[in-house]
This record gives sequence, C-alpha cells and structure tokens, in this order.
Amino acid sequence: MTTNSLAPIVTLLQQHRAAISSEWMTEVLRVWMRLYPGLVNEDELRRQADALLKELGKLFSEHSGEAPPDITGNSELGEIARELSSERAKKGFKPADTAQYVITLKNVLTQHLVRTLNESPTSLTLCLRAVDDVLDRLSLLTFDAFVETRERVIAQQSLSLVELSTPVILLWNNVLLLPLIGVIDTVRARQLTERLLESITKHEASVTLIDVTGVPVFDTSVARHIMKAIDAAQLLGSRIVMTGISPEGAQTLTKLGISFANVISRATLRAGLAEALQLVGRRIEFTGGVHK
Amino acid sequence: MTTQPTNSSERVPILDASDIVRARGVARQVAGRIGFGLADQTRLATAVSELARNVVQYGEDGFCEIVDASDHNEMRLGILVEDHGSGIDNIDKAMKDGYTTGGGLGAGLPGTRRLMDEFVIESEPGLTRISIALVRKRS
Repeated sequence: MTTNSLAPIVTLLQQHRAAISSEWMTEVLRVWMRLYPGLVNEDELRRQADALLKELGKLFSEHSGEAPPDITGNSELGEIARELSSERAKKGFKPADTAQYVITLKNVLTQHLVRTLNESPTSLTLCLRAVDDVLDRLSLLTFDAFVETRERVIAQQSLSLVELSTPVILLWNNVLLLPLIGVIDTVRARQLTERLLESITKHEASVTLIDVTGVPVFDTSVARHIMKAIDAAQLLGSRIVMTGISPEGAQTLTKLGISFANVISRATLRAGLAEALQLVGRRIEFTGGVHK
Repeated sequence: MTTQPTNSSERVPILDASDIVRARGVARQVAGRIGFGLADQTRLATAVSELARNVVQYGEDGFCEIVDASDHNEMRLGILVEDHGSGIDNIDKAMKDGYTTGGGLGAGLPGTRRLMDEFVIESEPGLTRISIALVRKRS
C-alpha cells in the first residue's frame, strides 16, 4: 500500500489539528449558537471535533487514495458522525444546519491544504480529491443518520398519539363515553371502533356517548367512519347518544345531506349525559351541599 | 374604512392525507381573515376537505388554490381544486346523492355543491378541475 500520496493530509491533521479544530468549531458554533441558543454544548462539540479529526487522520494514513475509503456507521469515524447527527435531529435542528457541520470541515481542511501545500499541483489535486471523497461520504452518512432519527421520532409520536387519542371511559354502570379528538382517518377509525366494541362488551354498556366536540372538520369521510362505528355498537346492543356537534357543524352536515338516523343527538356533553342516565334509569340529584 | 381588493392566493399541493388537513386549515384561515363568519368558515373547510379527499383517494396528485377575490361590495373566496388522475367518468352520476365508486357515502360532490354558492366541475382523463366559491355581501 502506498501511503505517500496522501501523506500531506496526514501531516496536516497531525501538526495543525488544534488550529483546524478551532477554526472549524468557531464557524459551526457561530451559526448554531445564533440559530439554536441553549441547545449547543460547546465543550462537548469541541471534544467531538477533536475525536473526529483524530479518526480522520487515522483513516487517511491507512487510505491509499485509490480504493474507496471505508466509512460505514460501524467505523469509529462513522460512529462519531452518526451520533452527532442524530443528536441534532433529536434537538430539532434543520437538516441543512446539521449538514453544515461536515461542509464547514471540508472548507477548513481544503483551505489549510492549499495554504500549506507548496508541492506539485498533481499532489495537491490528489489530496483535495481524497478530502472531497471522504467528507462527501461522511456527509451522506450524517444525512442518513439524521433522517433515520427523525423518522423514528415521528413514528413514535404518531404511535403514542394514536394510543392516547382514543380512550373509552366508563362514565357510570353501563354508560360509556367515547370522546373523539382530532383528525379521524381510516387508521384511527378502525382503532377507535375496535376499542369501543371491546369496551361495550366488557362493560355490557347499554348507552354509549360519542362526543365529537374535538373533531375539527365533520365531512362525509368522518361521518362515514363514525356511522360505521355506531352501526357496530348498535349491533352489540348499545344505544348511541351523540354530543358536541357545533351549530355550524349541524348546518354543514345537513347541507352535505348527512343524517344520523337512529342516533340520539344532544348539543352538549352535559345534555347528553343527562339523557344517557335517563336511558339507564338514573339521574343526578342535588343532595343539599353547600354549592347550589 | 373601505377594504381594497386584495386578490391574494395560496396554493397547497395535495399528495397525501396530511395535505387535506393543511388545505382546509389554510381555507379556514383565509376565510377568517376576509371576514367570513364561523358558519361560513366551517362550510369552506368542509368543502375543501371533501374535494381534497377526492384528490387523495382518486386523483393521485393535485393541488388546491385558495383565492381571495373580495372587493368593496362583497367578500368572495374562490377555491380551485385540480388533480391529474383518471378523471370522473360520468359527471352527472357523480353529482347525484348516494353515487360512489369508492365505497364512500356518495355525498361529497353533491354535498359540496349545496354548501357553496358557486360550483363548476370539468373532468377529462388526466385533468379534473373543480372551482367553488362562497360569496357574501359586505354589510
């Protein structure tokens, strides 16, 4: 293996590592401190930068300049880059600002090479190309790590949102409440129907309140999903009291030509609760407390 | 104080279900800014929701353009929804209540027409355009 063609890079990274690191970090910190104040740990970044440069030096000393450099997520260098990038992603950095990290390093390294290398143009070209090549790969790696982390965060969020957003509450013996909040799409509709039917069976619910106060737009698709849930619930013997349709919503629904036959509807959850209790032969009574 | 004609427009690309939420959000926002009441805002948001959902379900890709065409005398919000899917075979049928090719309620298009003051639909394979508008005299 001939290492001499890239030897200038190795020497540069050995002799000027402190200067390169400091220049690089000054530039990165200048941008990041402005855009993400409070999210940047300067000491840690400097430590990471030093470690990364050390690994980079190691890579170039083993790298002949002909075979493609070995940068994967498993190598030491890749590990540092991935970790850094995924940390940025978690903290909400923009992809471009994260990519800036490697791009800035490339600029600093290139400048240093041009400044210190008074050798033949061939040697300089060779070195610049090697730097380009390695840092481009590093760049892609950080980008991959960034997207991966973001996707994981999004997947987790949507999962927890779906989990959280369809509770079925036992209000009183045989009376259930299903508060609907947010966008009702096919996935959520299926899930809430499943939960509702399970709960009806489990609690032998004879009345189910469906509150749609938190549904932002009641269009035909939402209506269809809710109708199907209602049909299934009625098959299990539960009566449905729908509550929380706004005056505007009611107008819009009738214009759309949607009617909820076989469903008792009340404007407010309060009125719906009274109705539901009546259906199971109960009522809420004043028992002489302090507050009337 | 008189309101000057603004004629601003906003375009929302419609590619997947999340764009439905965005499009109707923009429609509601623009309607509120123009001065439409809550009931009319709800109508517009619902109409946009219907049309945008059709784009996602049948039209592959498209966009929704929301235009404020108000002037001194009237508030006017126009919406154009365009998609590049296979088009609607039979517009007369599609405009009838209860007719559906996709397992829906078949109320989307006729319902939207009832919600709006103006409704124009044209469709051929590769291009479907529906423009709707809600118009209110300024009081």
